Amino acid sequence: MNGVWKAYKIFHYIKLAGIWISGISVLLMMLMIVYDVTMRTFFSSSIRGGFEIIQNYMMPLVVFPGLAYVYASGVLPKMDLILEKLNSTAQRILIFFMLLLELFILVLIVQFSWEYAMSGLERKTAFPAAGTLYPLYPLFFLIPIAFALIIVENVFILIKNILEKNPSLVMKETKSVPEEVL
Amino acid sequence: GGGEESGGSSSEGETITLRAATGLSAQHTWWEASMVPWMERVEELTEGQVQFESFTGGELVSVPDEAEALETGTVDVAIVLPIYQPDQFPMAEVTMLPLNHSDTLIASNAWRKLLESEEELADGQTYTEMQFGNFKVFPISTTQEYSISTTGHEFNAVSDVEGTSLRTPSRIHEIYAAKTGINSVTMPAVEIYDSLSRGTFEGAFYSIADWTGYGFQDLFRYTLTGINFGHFNAFIGMSQDKWEEMPENVQEAMTQANEELFESGAQEWIDRAEEIIPENEANGGKFVDFADLDPAVQDHFNQGIEETWTDYATLLEENGLPGNDLVKVWRDLLIEEGGEVPEAIMDLE
Amino acid sequence: MDNLLVIGIILAMMIVLLIAGLYIHSVLLASGIIGLILLEGFGILPGLLGNEPFNRVASYTLTTIPLFVLMAQFILQSGLVQDIFYMVHKVSKGKNSLLGILTLIIGGLLGAVSGSGTATSASLGQVAIPELRKHGYSAPLAGAIAASGGSLSGIIPPSIILILYGVATETPVGSLFVGAFIPGILTMIVFILVMLLYFRLDRKKRSQIEEPVIQDAPLPEKLSVIRLLIVSVIAILIVVVIFGGIYSGVFTPTEAGAVGAFVGLIAALVLGKVNFQFFKTSVVETVKLTGMVMIIMIGAQIFGRFVSLSLLPRRLIELIEPIMDTPVLVLIAISVVLFIMFMFIEGAAVILMSIPVILPIIQELQVDILWFGVFVAVICTIGLITPPVGLSVYAVAGVSGISSGSIFRISMVFAIVAMVVVCGLMIAFPGLATWLPNSM
Ligand code: NA
Ligand code: NA
Repeated sequence: MNGVWKAYKIFHYIKLAGIWISGISVLLMMLMIVYDVTMRTFFSSSIRGGFEIIQNYMMPLVVFPGLAYVYASGVLPKMDLILEKLNSTAQRILIFFMLLLELFILVLIVQFSWEYAMSGLERKTAFPAAGTLYPLYPLFFLIPIAFALIIVENVFILIKNILEKNPSLVMKETKSVPEEVL
Repeated sequence: GGGEESGGSSSEGETITLRAATGLSAQHTWWEASMVPWMERVEELTEGQVQFESFTGGELVSVPDEAEALETGTVDVAIVLPIYQPDQFPMAEVTMLPLNHSDTLIASNAWRKLLESEEELADGQTYTEMQFGNFKVFPISTTQEYSISTTGHEFNAVSDVEGTSLRTPSRIHEIYAAKTGINSVTMPAVEIYDSLSRGTFEGAFYSIADWTGYGFQDLFRYTLTGINFGHFNAFIGMSQDKWEEMPENVQEAMTQANEELFESGAQEWIDRAEEIIPENEANGGKFVDFADLDPAVQDHFNQGIEETWTDYATLLEENGLPGNDLVKVWRDLLIEEGGEVPEAIMDLE
Repeated sequence: MDNLLVIGIILAMMIVLLIAGLYIHSVLLASGIIGLILLEGFGILPGLLGNEPFNRVASYTLTTIPLFVLMAQFILQSGLVQDIFYMVHKVSKGKNSLLGILTLIIGGLLGAVSGSGTATSASLGQVAIPELRKHGYSAPLAGAIAASGGSLSGIIPPSIILILYGVATETPVGSLFVGAFIPGILTMIVFILVMLLYFRLDRKKRSQIEEPVIQDAPLPEKLSVIRLLIVSVIAILIVVVIFGGIYSGVFTPTEAGAVGAFVGLIAALVLGKVNFQFFKTSVVETVKLTGMVMIIMIGAQIFGRFVSLSLLPRRLIELIEPIMDTPVLVLIAISVVLFIMFMFIEGAAVILMSIPVILPIIQELQVDILWFGVFVAVICTIGLITPPVGLSVYAVAGVSGISSGSIFRISMVFAIVAMVVVCGLMIAFPGLATWLPNSM
């Protein structure tokens, strides 16, 4: 399990890089819109193609790079109705079942979003903004990458459940600390 | 798509269910006056052999993903709006070139002739083969002509034109705006009403018949007529594969239905506009004829028209496309149908 | 496979997966994908799975989600809201119930600058819950207050839902906004009344079980009068900039997210709270919340595609065919169906999939389309706080760490009371929605 944790630590840095890309993109997006509003209000001119660029570049950059970090952080909601009430064996079976189901859909998403990105590359998909065409297809690759990272996270969780006694749906338990802090 | 009933081997008599879709709303003129009557007529002509299951308003496919949805087989037949994808269909915007005069019928007929043209445009291919080779194309009408409308801002001098913020719906309008000193604003269609009503910008290029889709009949107070900023185009499309799966009698029915209904589809745009104009006038809207504008303003607008044609042609040529030939073909088709363009465009050789 | 059979299998599967504790987005994705496979075979997947995640996210209108959350983070990290709640506490002279009322009213006010119930709920969750907790509110009740207060953005204009409805039905968005005003306020009042009732019950229960906890809550460090003055001025300035900017047309409601965040950043600068940690916390929390909302929206989108292709909405409509000559019954039936759909599916997706089917019926019944739009927006707003897919509750749970299940137990009651009272009143007195737009 030690080796697994070491590998997981390296993986953690990849996720961290992702969330920084997302975070900086949020700030940039804010600044772009504020700049656009200012220019329009005071100088009667706006960023040429600003709305298309924000929509097609900034939004995907805000959402996808950080997605694996978000997934691992345990913030994603689920209904916790029965899992904790089951005994350890039943928990383990249920968790294995859920992880496999999750992997199944994630693999499908990675496969088809990859195909979509490749076909975009082939067609050189672009979007028009202010009379110019901006390439769109490079952004398509964010999706298979983001979901592939979530697959990796899930594989780690799967390995952890095989090697360790306590069944769990996350690598690191967060113990719902915030509620006690309040 | 379409389920197992629509396999390639469908023989006559077997029911074929086709999935039809548009990202436009169910009340949109193209859906209501072109697509729906076409589907009904096809069902009728095939005596129920062909059935349509329809999805509107982005329920299944959003604008402008219809073409892609046809190719992946998500849907079988759809209204394709190629102007929204100048990266994939760079020559589709030709119908958006500004003119001195045309109407829905003139532009629709010219658009249909362009789509059905057998003439080679380049590399031994016709216009449709070059742009829409993956699709079976059923021409439908263009929109009514685009006008400039504002929430009250008037064009009494050239300085009134320059610096005015207008929402531009296509690449061509952006070129035109740049030529005439208009400040082009782009924003999602759903946000236009709100922004216009609060004065975030002053007006838009839009076709009058399309106003009700966004409630603009309550907002616009000043509309320039007698000059025209092009026609948005569309067609009913199927993927070539799907089309070839259709039995011959079905193919014939589809073609026949399209031919029968082409003109009434175009007429609907004119009828809708005629309904909206008095309604807008009652709300205090003003329609100003281009010929009544200050001559300097007229020249300013006309100058922009000429430069937009040549710029668009150059843009295409730079990308290895027959831009010069295309704009001339389009000009000739328009003139043939009764349209008018500035002198300098007539002189293009 | 037969549509109805597939629908049955998928709905059963959804319920089982939800109860089992699979992530909500995975439940939606799994049900959607497996449903699509059962209905159409694998061949349908490339066209839908490949592009939907990108198309869903690449939307200018959705910039409101990260940017309003960012604004909330900046304001929260600047300490502004804590100070304001402290002042309100002083003014209310220990009447803790006022704090809950205030939170819901702030929710309503935020609703007037935000189009997204989810983003506003997250902001409220971040700033209000710690204060509510200090003043005797149980964690689930505090969570429910923040979630329902935030959900008001869905109905109080501007509203993304009303915009989508306006576009789908070709109804002027401006009139819809005006029409939604009174029902929006009404919903807020209902939430306040239910909240007060819960607060009473909560307090009674506590004083019986434990020792009385209602002593004056421990207050933060003594604040100087000058600081309070600065804080008040800044708070008023923020509100004026956002409201003034939107209603004077300087920027759109969508852009207000960015401007609001920027103003929040400046406020934090003035208050001397900006450092690396400030940026790190704000930005990471924003991305976490945005990622959470967007991945659920992607799941909802794909599930929505399955629902569309299964023709489920149409089957439901066929069911109500026999009662078409009793419009009130039809309306009640439609609202129940919509209520259930909004329970399970994200709001925008429900509008997109149901309006094309419901609109013809509404027209046949000669029901006012504007009225119906407002009516739908009310139900949608309520759907933000109902399980199993209640994005406002998840947003609050995400930022506060309070379990979503415990919040749902209370917010569900908020939802049912608002549903019965507001929708009932709207059916009985359609003027609630149509009077204002008609008289303007
Ligand atoms: Na709102
Ligand atoms: Na819900």
